Amino acid sequence: MWKYSEKLMDHFMNPRNTGQLLNPDCHSEVGSPQCGDAMTLDIKVDDEDRIAEIKFMTFGCAGAIAAASALTEIAKGKTLEEALGISNDQIVEFLGGMPEEKYHCSVMGNEALSMAIDDFRHRRDNTAEHLESILREISEDLAAAIGNGSISIEHVHPIRVSVRLSGGDDGIVTEVLEKELQKRTGKTVKVSVTR
Amino acid sequence: MKAYLDNNATTRIAPEVLDAMLPFYTERFGNPSSFHSFGSDLMEDIEAAREKVAVLLGANAEEIVFTSGGTESDNTALIGATTINPLKPGLVTSKIEHPAVLETAEYIKSKGHPVGFSEVNNDGTLNMNSLESFISEQTGLVSIMMANNETGVIMPVAEVARKAHERRALFHTDAVQAVGKIPVDVRSLGIDMLSISAHKLHGPKGVGALFIRKGIEIPPFMLGGHQEKGIRAGTYNTAGIVGLGVAAELAVRHLLEENGITGLLLERLEGGILERCPGTVIAGADVERLPNTVTILFRGVESEAVMTLLDMEGICVSSGSVCSSGDESSSYVLSAMGIDAVDANTALRFSLSRYTTGREIDYVLEVLPSIIEKLREISPYANP
Repeated sequence: MWKYSEKLMDHFMNPRNTGQLLNPDCHSEVGSPQCGDAMTLDIKVDDEDRIAEIKFMTFGCAGAIAAASALTEIAKGKTLEEALGISNDQIVEFLGGMPEEKYHCSVMGNEALSMAIDDFRHRRDNTAEHLESILREISEDLAAAIGNGSISIEHVHPIRVSVRLSGGDDGIVTEVLEKELQKRTGKTVKVSVTR
Repeated sequence: MKAYLDNNATTRIAPEVLDAMLPFYTERFGNPSSFHSFGSDLMEDIEAAREKVAVLLGANAEEIVFTSGGTESDNTALIGATTINPLKPGLVTSKIEHPAVLETAEYIKSKGHPVGFSEVNNDGTLNMNSLESFISEQTGLVSIMMANNETGVIMPVAEVARKAHERRALFHTDAVQAVGKIPVDVRSLGIDMLSISAHKLHGPKGVGALFIRKGIEIPPFMLGGHQEKGIRAGTYNTAGIVGLGVAAELAVRHLLEENGITGLLLERLEGGILERCPGTVIAGADVERLPNTVTILFRGVESEAVMTLLDMEGICVSSGSVCSSGDESSSYVLSAMGIDAVDANTALRFSLSRYTTGREIDYVLEVLPSIIEKLREISPYANP
């Protein structure tokens, strides 16, 4: 038997944040074909770019399960940028140490996390690109109504976006614009107005 | 409550064995090779043990050489038999042998000898076509284990011995896991050399034997004194050898009755696990296996995690793979059977002995299902 710390055993016996999320903002699957270990990660990101919810599933030894559990605990509430900075040493330290032969177990979690964040950024970029092209079209379509106003992107998330309408006529009802954008983007859209 | 179901790793020493050994650690500490009778009288105890081992194998006493265990017996047989005839330096073995044979085979190969590793079938049995394809006129020795340590699958040693003899090669079998669990008769099986280890049959650790059929002369592996007619140098491990003798005697006495009971307990374990843990598969389910061994794949659940939880409940089992370095490969035995790395890493081996009780089996059946269930809940492979 490996000499595991009490904290590691606790995270193995009672892993935190296990399972899958319904409609996650991003997802990753990693596996090590040599040792057969595998892991999935589901994440929801809030509008401040922070990890709001995170869930994992792991096929692996006690060390791998505990390391994944620790990673999710450390990552929760962190911004994506901060989460990317989580090191293996931090996971090992969080668990009160780990047998050296087991250090590789902690690597899988980090790999899953960076893949999930990549996935998130990729989806967000796609959404942003899509939104930009729609805004170009919509500006022409609604040029008369917007008048000399302009629409700018405030925040993009893979499943929700917010835009700002500056200037333009009073006659434009934000609800109408929201509805139109929602129809065209397939995302939840929030429009705020500055006049 | 505890359950020791790792008897293929090692067995509990029989009380009769320990009792017989103790005097050789106290009053009877002499060296059997000494001139004085205080020491030389001990040769009688050595010879009595030799006779008992011979009876267990259906051999003559003079054909038994005492060694430090199965590994030394395998090394002696393989290295010796591939060096006696320069025209027949070749070795043929299989991919699922114990490391004591595999690593020795690699060593022999590194010395420039032709060495072939036979494939096995998906059910864990030997692939005879593959084996035969490796045997040539250059083959001096064919070495196939009598039963596999992980799956318990019994190999057709009599048939392999015939094939070896057809090409004028010798036949050696690593019978470490088989002797004491199934009847073994070196004559009717046509065996030229056979390795055994005392601690796998309720004897002490650090002692074993090599059967070398009369008429075969192989060079010594351990060089030194003239013990064992010069075949194996080194001061006699008197207590160990006496212990092996008693263990052999007990194995003969208990063989049939014991294996009947062990077989029933194993059936109870297998049946209970298959019923209570869905998604489980027995490796080599439909072929002849040792009455004490089963390897079960708990699909979707990593074996080391299961072992860690079982360990906390006092249950000892083993797996062919331990996750320790990252590039660690899973069980080579299961991999040779065509089982992929993920499934191979779900395998647990349960091995019983004559000291295994029904209560131990029931305890395992009580504890195991919830452990499997708990780990399945967090496994991405839970529903393969």
